Amino acid sequence: MNVVVCVKLTPDANDIEVRPDGSISLARAEWIIGGFDLQAIEAGVQLVEAQGGKVTALSAGPLPISNSKLKKDILSRGPDELVMVVDDALQDADTYTTAQVLAQAIRELGQVDLVLCGEGSADLYFQQVGLQVGEMFGLPTLNFISKIDVEGDHLVVERNLEEEIEVLEVPLPAVLSVTTDITQARLPKMTEILKASKKPVTERAVADLGLPEEVRPRVEKISTRAPHRWQRKQVMIPGSPDEAVQLLAGYLNKEGIL
Amino acid sequence: MDFRLTEEQELLIQSLEELLQREVPDSLMAELDEAKEFPYKPWQALADFGILGLGVPEEFGGTPADIQTMTLVCETLGRHAFPLGIIYALGMITIRDIVQFASDEIKQRVLGGLVSGDPPVALGITEPQAGSDAAALKTSAAFQGDDVVFNGQKMYCTLAGMTRYIMLMTRDQQIEDPYQGISMWLLPTDTPGVRCNKMAKVGWWTIPSYEVYIENACVPKSNLIGQMNNGWPQLMANFEIERLALCAASLGAAEGAYDDAAAYANQRQQFGRSIGSYQAVQHLITDMAVKIENMKNYVYKIAWMMDNDLPVRHEHAMCKLYVAQASFEVIDAAMQVLGGLGYTMEHRVQRLWRDIRLMRIGGGTDEIMYNIAGPQLLKKARK
Repeated sequence: MNVVVCVKLTPDANDIEVRPDGSISLARAEWIIGGFDLQAIEAGVQLVEAQGGKVTALSAGPLPISNSKLKKDILSRGPDELVMVVDDALQDADTYTTAQVLAQAIRELGQVDLVLCGEGSADLYFQQVGLQVGEMFGLPTLNFISKIDVEGDHLVVERNLEEEIEVLEVPLPAVLSVTTDITQARLPKMTEILKASKKPVTERAVADLGLPEEVRPRVEKISTRAPHRWQRKQVMIPGSPDEAVQLLAGYLNKEGIL
Repeated sequence: MDFRLTEEQELLIQSLEELLQREVPDSLMAELDEAKEFPYKPWQALADFGILGLGVPEEFGGTPADIQTMTLVCETLGRHAFPLGIIYALGMITIRDIVQFASDEIKQRVLGGLVSGDPPVALGITEPQAGSDAAALKTSAAFQGDDVVFNGQKMYCTLAGMTRYIMLMTRDQQIEDPYQGISMWLLPTDTPGVRCNKMAKVGWWTIPSYEVYIENACVPKSNLIGQMNNGWPQLMANFEIERLALCAASLGAAEGAYDDAAAYANQRQQFGRSIGSYQAVQHLITDMAVKIENMKNYVYKIAWMMDNDLPVRHEHAMCKLYVAQASFEVIDAAMQVLGGLGYTMEHRVQRLWRDIRLMRIGGGTDEIMYNIAGPQLLKKARK
């Protein structure tokens, strides 16, 4: 089984700096594997460990993703190879653009039986890319997948909805977006970290992909602002419920909320 | 001068930190400490993750690793769960002695188990009359055909009562120079005639130490590690790395205490503001951070020197002296920042405070570190 796992690399949210005017800076942020994609990688690796075949990790993004530590990080988690589309044209790419690029890169990989994505990206969490990639291929496409079993030439998957779990048969090839509870991501051991630097990595630019149309974002980002931070009042309200309600109402009035 | 870690080191430590967060919450270490139990489960998690095989040859299930990487592991363990760092450090000397000096048969018998989670081999040197003067040991080895019979008593023999083997040091009293009459043996702890008596200690409750009574304990002669009467230089060959590893774990413990103190200083409110907003607390925090940075630079430099085969004869002693004292000072300051909370049995800082104190005694006392470094420094100055 040839599995492609799409991986979004993002600036670490812990490293985001908020400037006094509310704008944010990612200049000092380390780039990491999106947290939702770690489980997708693990699910793909487990399938191939059980069924045989190959796992290809695929990532598209701006120049900072071409980082040797990130590449080793991905490959130490089990994929056999890594394909990256690295291009500053993908800075702030919207979901359609990203899906277009990923789909074309997948097309050029030859026979692919299964494409896995995380449930959403770690930065914007639109949860669209996996669905759009599937639509572009015209393949069976499902999201919220929390379990995948291989049965003969098809998959039996569990789709975790709010109040029920759907059990579905899915013919291959297919595109699935998996939830974080599908499995626990492995922690790379030293031996796997050392092996990672010997695995093949292919890097391409958007222009190398031979896309039929120009990659052009359809969404314009005007600005990103952090929400204003209010100083907490840290008021403890003592007394019986009736007294406390009175006091609370007084405070809320004073703040102009009521 | 490049202070950056390699990408492989960064990735390993990132993985290890996540493993410790998943498998070794502080609540577990607190429970084990209270119950005075060896951390079997966390130790097995480290084995399953491949950490116990670092530095062990691949043919015995290990993974090649340089000293800097193992030092970083010790530091990380120390920061999250200090006893694990100590146990790992204690294992380093016996593993390296076995790898360097033991027969293939002993390596086959022992190393695979250590890599897959056996507690480390205990080091049996200290005796009632032989502490800092380790060469004054009296435990004897007498040959009987193909066997050797041991008699003697060991003190402060950490892990002896719960591990499979003791690396036993014996002395041939017929040889006048004690340094030329010491031999190193592998003594299985289930050998008839070996009796371990657990000692009560102020700290290190999860890392038991024992008095070991050895009466006519008989093992095959092939249990000799290295050469007969060459035990002292064999032991000294890896003492430096054990001290470095203990320093790295102590550095980690200081970092852990700092993390707790800094978080508390920001959060604890007194007189209407955080205690960290007062200069008195800021001074404590800053002094702690300076000491941590100094310790880190010292530990990493010694690791780098050892990886580059540079001699560290007095440097390692100076590092051990400084780190043992500075890590205690940092943890003591953390307790001061935490106030009453830090002195309660609820908080991990009290565990670190009790545990770190031994670092000024174990692995060579402060005073012995002066004795090692002082003459070497003056000799160097005479040139």
